[in-house]
Amino acid sequence: MEFLFLLTLLIYLAASILHALFLTTGISRISEGAFWATTMGFALHTILIALRWIGQGQFPMAHWLDSISFLAWAIILIYLGIAYMTRMRALGVFVVPAAFAAILIAYALPQDAPGLPADLQNYWLLSHTTLIFLSYAAFIAAFGFGVMYLIEEKKLRRKAQTLIHDHFPSLGSSDEIGHRCMVVGVILLTLGIIIGAVWTKYARELEWRWLDSKIIFTFATWLIYVIQIGIRQVLGWRGRKAAYSAIIGFAAILCTYAGVNLFLPSIHAF
Amino acid sequence: MNQIHTVGTSHHTAPLDFREKLAFSETQILQAFPLLKEQYHFQEAVILSTCNRVEVYATSDVAGEGVPLLDFLTAYHRIDPQTLKKFTYTHQDEDAVRHLFDVSASLDSMVVGEPQILGQVKEAYDTALASGASGQTLNRLFSKAISVGKRVRTETNIASGAVSIGFAAVELAKKIFQSLKNKTVAIVGAGEMSELTAQHLVENGASKVIVANRTFERAVEIAEKFDGIPLAYDESLSFLVDADIVISSTDAPHYLIQRKPLAEVMKKRKHRHMFLIDIAVPRDIDPQVGKMENAFLYNIDDLEAVVASNLKGRQREAEIAGRIVEEEAIGFYSQLQLLKVTPTIKALNRQFQGVVERELQACFKKADLSSEQQALVQSMTQAIVKKLLHQPTKNLRQKTNDVDSEHVQYIRALRDLFALEDVENRTETEDQT
Repeated sequence: MEFLFLLTLLIYLAASILHALFLTTGISRISEGAFWATTMGFALHTILIALRWIGQGQFPMAHWLDSISFLAWAIILIYLGIAYMTRMRALGVFVVPAAFAAILIAYALPQDAPGLPADLQNYWLLSHTTLIFLSYAAFIAAFGFGVMYLIEEKKLRRKAQTLIHDHFPSLGSSDEIGHRCMVVGVILLTLGIIIGAVWTKYARELEWRWLDSKIIFTFATWLIYVIQIGIRQVLGWRGRKAAYSAIIGFAAILCTYAGVNLFLPSIHAF
Repeated sequence: MNQIHTVGTSHHTAPLDFREKLAFSETQILQAFPLLKEQYHFQEAVILSTCNRVEVYATSDVAGEGVPLLDFLTAYHRIDPQTLKKFTYTHQDEDAVRHLFDVSASLDSMVVGEPQILGQVKEAYDTALASGASGQTLNRLFSKAISVGKRVRTETNIASGAVSIGFAAVELAKKIFQSLKNKTVAIVGAGEMSELTAQHLVENGASKVIVANRTFERAVEIAEKFDGIPLAYDESLSFLVDADIVISSTDAPHYLIQRKPLAEVMKKRKHRHMFLIDIAVPRDIDPQVGKMENAFLYNIDDLEAVVASNLKGRQREAEIAGRIVEEEAIGFYSQLQLLKVTPTIKALNRQFQGVVERELQACFKKADLSSEQQALVQSMTQAIVKKLLHQPTKNLRQKTNDVDSEHVQYIRALRDLFALEDVENRTETEDQT
């Protein structure tokens, strides 16, 4: 476990460096290396989570440190998907170092796994949390594209000479792929919320607790994205406006995820 | 010794009207090859003739500067030798190798990093190869020059960055749009530059062209060239609703495309990105347009700044490329020296003969032989040496005819095994005395 953890960390670190190198040099061989290093890191990361699952006898989600590791895993999964489909690697420059930091935090800090009550341990929980985490990951990818859009747009407006030599995606690509990430995120989040609600209502025969702080924040987040996607279709809110929406949405996710976890009382301890 | 000579003229050394006089057409090149061989006693020749340079590469057994090549050019093109000398350069051996590598790496081109020259070098080589004018030395030299040209282009950024206004526009468009496919280019006004820019955009994927002009007939005329759609110009700019890339170059004295009507157009196209290129002087597009969301405005100065910065970038890359060329030229030339089979074979023969000679003398001292018997023994030993060396010599020469460098290893092995390194130098000095 110790060794595997270090190895995963090292590979993610190498992948981060390769991504940064690619962005500065634009050499395609480096970008291939970065992609494969990330894939390898992801495979090890998966094993790491699986081992922890077996070790704890339950899906490792009870502690927020575990959930950070899982979120990092989901982000890398989304990134690899995008990188594979679009051959675009620039997002990795943001995402892979973030994953590196996340698992460093998740596994290096001592943690007191409290364990969940037995009645919460089932496939409902698994699909509910997995869907919501994957949606977060998609939104974070949208955020990454939003940031890249704004950087690139600024360069275009300033007529920066470095513009043509950088290896960020074009404005159209950042805008379009970012938008698709949002759509995918909204679908996943919606499914996750529905499963959570149905499970609470029927499987556990509990009243919906609308006022749970996590639920409120999640709805707010959901609304931000749905509104952005809707206005894009009707009024053409694309480009800079879409990028800002992705950033605001990301801030909302941070509140939902970290803020509520750490500072507000909620039945969603993770 | 097999020497490489080159004589050439290029945009660096001669004006166009002189280069024209020296140029070779394809047929002339084919005519020139036998002349070079028979009248001027060159063994191999390659002629490179482009609009920016004319260069003749040849190998010869005769030592000396490139005078016979100059004579050939004087005679062939009937040019005054003094003028020819003034506008040409000559290189020998290692310098000739370095020069050709510089040329194929496009370091000697007017625009450093331009792509055509590599193809032209290849063409010149293919022509010579097909007509049998080039042989082992020049075949090796030109294959290497082509691979050096490729290496420089992949390992440095010498060929990156647009160096013309039209290509700069294409590169910028690629930074704005996900892809140029299905994008519509609008040409407003007329002009060579705007048509050329539109042409580049179409070649890079833009699928539709619309042309707007105050006179509709003129619009029709230009639209025909691009299979495009002519439109009448109108103040509301409504013809721009479908346009993703707008190239404007009219001679209007005021701004044709103003912020307010364009804002309406942007609304109608749901704020899809628009790239506006203003190449008119005085300008056609209100600079305020550049501040609108999702509209990106570049004027002629901006595009020229892009080109200038790219050229500067290429100059920096050219230094790195120069080091690659230097390294390759030295490597190639020293390998070429090794390739020379004849001196190796001579040295080997001499060494064997030397051993036989010494042993014979020792033997004659001990045994009392008549001069007839001595002659018999001598001729027998010489026959043995000859027969022993016959097969290896034959094989070695055969190997040299292949372009791959496998036989270099044979030569190196031979030199190592028989310690021939010093022998060659000695034989050369002996040859001269």
